[in-house]
Amino acid sequence: MASLARVPGVAFLLVALGIVFSIFAHGFATLSNLLNIGIQSSTLLLLALPMTFIIMTEGLDLSMGAVLGLTGVILASVLVAGNSLIAAFGAALGVGLAFGIANGLFVVKLGLPPFVTTLGTLGIAQGMALVLTGGESVAGIGPALPKLYASKWAGIPFSILVALSMYAVFHFLLYYTRFGNYVFAIGGNREALVLAGVPAGVFHVSVYALAGLMAGFAALLLTGRMNSGHPTAAMGMEFDAIAAVIVGGTERQRGNGWLPGTVLGVLAVGVLRNGLNVMALPSSLQVASIGLLLIAALLIDSIRRIKP
Amino acid sequence: MRHISKAFPGVQALKDVSLTAYGSEVHMLVGQNGAGKSTLIKILCGAYRPNQGEFLVHGKPVHIESTRDARRLGIAVIFQEFSLVPYLDIAQNIFLGREFPGRVPCTIDRGRLHSEARRILDLLGMDADTRTKAHRLGVAQQQMVEIAKALSQDARVLVMDEPTAAISDREIETLFQIVRKLRGEGIAIIYISHRMREVFEIGDRITVLRDGANVASLRPSETTLDELVRLMVGREVDTTYRTRFCEQPGETVLDVKALDTKSGIRGASLTVRSGEIVGLAGLVGAGRTELVRAVFGADTVIRGEIVLKGRNLNGSPAEAVTLGMGLVPENRKTEGLALMCSVHDNMLAAGLRQLFPHGWYTFTKARKAVEGLIQRLRVVTTSARRPARLLSGGNQQKVVIGKWLNAGSKVFIFDEPTRGIDVGAKAEIYKVMERLVAEGAAVLVISSELPELVAVCDRAYVLRNKAVVGELSRKDLTEENILRMAMQHG
Repeated sequence: MASLARVPGVAFLLVALGIVFSIFAHGFATLSNLLNIGIQSSTLLLLALPMTFIIMTEGLDLSMGAVLGLTGVILASVLVAGNSLIAAFGAALGVGLAFGIANGLFVVKLGLPPFVTTLGTLGIAQGMALVLTGGESVAGIGPALPKLYASKWAGIPFSILVALSMYAVFHFLLYYTRFGNYVFAIGGNREALVLAGVPAGVFHVSVYALAGLMAGFAALLLTGRMNSGHPTAAMGMEFDAIAAVIVGGTERQRGNGWLPGTVLGVLAVGVLRNGLNVMALPSSLQVASIGLLLIAALLIDSIRRIKP
Repeated sequence: MRHISKAFPGVQALKDVSLTAYGSEVHMLVGQNGAGKSTLIKILCGAYRPNQGEFLVHGKPVHIESTRDARRLGIAVIFQEFSLVPYLDIAQNIFLGREFPGRVPCTIDRGRLHSEARRILDLLGMDADTRTKAHRLGVAQQQMVEIAKALSQDARVLVMDEPTAAISDREIETLFQIVRKLRGEGIAIIYISHRMREVFEIGDRITVLRDGANVASLRPSETTLDELVRLMVGREVDTTYRTRFCEQPGETVLDVKALDTKSGIRGASLTVRSGEIVGLAGLVGAGRTELVRAVFGADTVIRGEIVLKGRNLNGSPAEAVTLGMGLVPENRKTEGLALMCSVHDNMLAAGLRQLFPHGWYTFTKARKAVEGLIQRLRVVTTSARRPARLLSGGNQQKVVIGKWLNAGSKVFIFDEPTRGIDVGAKAEIYKVMERLVAEGAAVLVISSELPELVAVCDRAYVLRNKAVVGELSRKDLTEENILRMAMQHG
């Protein structure tokens, strides 16, 4: 049973959720629905991956959902104006990166609390998105993005493919590069990193910059899925991302992060939302249930820690 | 290092200190708490910059202006708090910031990382897997990794700050073997210790610091334990603090029996009687703060009893306060006061229920109580409405005391009451303590300043390694006796 003790609480939750929904939610356990969960989860994963790094470094980014909304609107607007998909995607990435760097500089160089800083940039991004669109959806994005989004490779939908390759990139970054080492060090013992002569601040800002960049990247999937840009489409998605990371076993102290756990956390959130959807429960209940999921996962892990 | 001086605002921490480390030698650095050992080490590793003085390496003058400079010169320090990253493995920790680049840009050559780490661990005779994460290691193993880290940087001077403070006797033996091995390799070792046994066991040379100055540099073979203790204490005892000592103490108000706590205190017993000032002495880390925290109910008690005025305490600060105990904490700014609040509000913070038993707050009554306390304690403040942060250290301390007086406390615990306040204010604090006991209260005081304990206390307990190792009555209460008990013997 020793190996079972190393299985994180979220894995049990995921299995439990799967069983419950298979029994009670008619149409949950079908291949097309499971694929649907994957597609729905892929956008969230793009946010949760960099969020893992941020939380590992004792930080937080509340602005990711709003920045995703803004970059989605920008992506759609640039397409509507008749530009190429590459130009539109580039604009989304650029704006996302700018927000990420701003967050990083405020937090690292000015020493502002991440919670307050990113709450501020959340407001700015959301406001900009509303001003740009007047609160309306941006439709008429042309055929290029929908075509790309609908493409498959070996039967795997585009969005899942993107999510998988991004996971690979982040896994490589965290476990195989200097940058990854330093992410562990910034959260675990920043002083040691500084004493080793490493410009810790640069790497710390990069963590936030990466988060902004990924919000811009996720705009590609979000806009592709909705066929339009909507300023409030990703509102609250940062909550799901933070929940997924915490549920996945990453700690805010000591730089303890676990990337595969984040994937499990994202899937748990995805399964929960999808299952409740299939059971036709109102979406307000979904937010509450994700709160419950978060608490349940933390509870399971802390009980297991007391009684190993 | 030659003629090093360092002043902090208000304190001359080091005066013209020189220290020479020779290759293949273990140089012991000893001195009381506050003698300037830590400051000296921080200057040596570049964390502080001296006001005066120079550094020479192999006879050539060099500059040490940052930790990087020190590292480049081959100086490595192992502090008591380790600089390991908990979720990186041993190899990654050893080479943090100096990873070997892999073939793909930005990656790490893991094979080389682990083989180099293995080589250094073998040198130290440590057989742990280099893939073990640091948070899974015990204190002694973490220390080994720190040493490995220093060696991997080709350290020629290795500074160890109380390396044996937190490890077991068997691990100490291993550590000593390594220290001897490193000495054999030609490395100069500067070793700070409070344990006299170690000084004589592995030291080749001893430097004694006192009040921020060199007092002696000698060979272990040419000195004795008694001489060292005398050198460390060294000054004439100043007894001007207190005039009348307690001759006839009253009844026992606080009785601690065979206390074991979660924070590591083992079998501690002590009594405090009314009218008495009792000291708690011991070196940093001996467990003084842990003991009073447990007595106050802030730390979990495993075994033993705490009896306050005949009633058993079950361990919560609220209960301790209700029964008349008041803690004047070491960090008055964070634990003792609400700095932004007024003197008035701070003084009433603990005793509202006593002052207003029916739950009705009346401003006139509150103001009278505060004015009474301000006069009684002679707090210097322009008004009772002045924010506590604008008061001087000594007056802030009086506000904390006033808070407990208002709450009707009869047993006062002072943790380092005079830290960071000037000489005049210190004398005032002592007078307040004296007046408290004259009025029948009991006082338990922790202090790292031995002259202070000797001058103020009627009696003192000495702690070492989280246990009470002795009790000194007034006539035996001297700095020499305290130090002798507080340090490990023979």
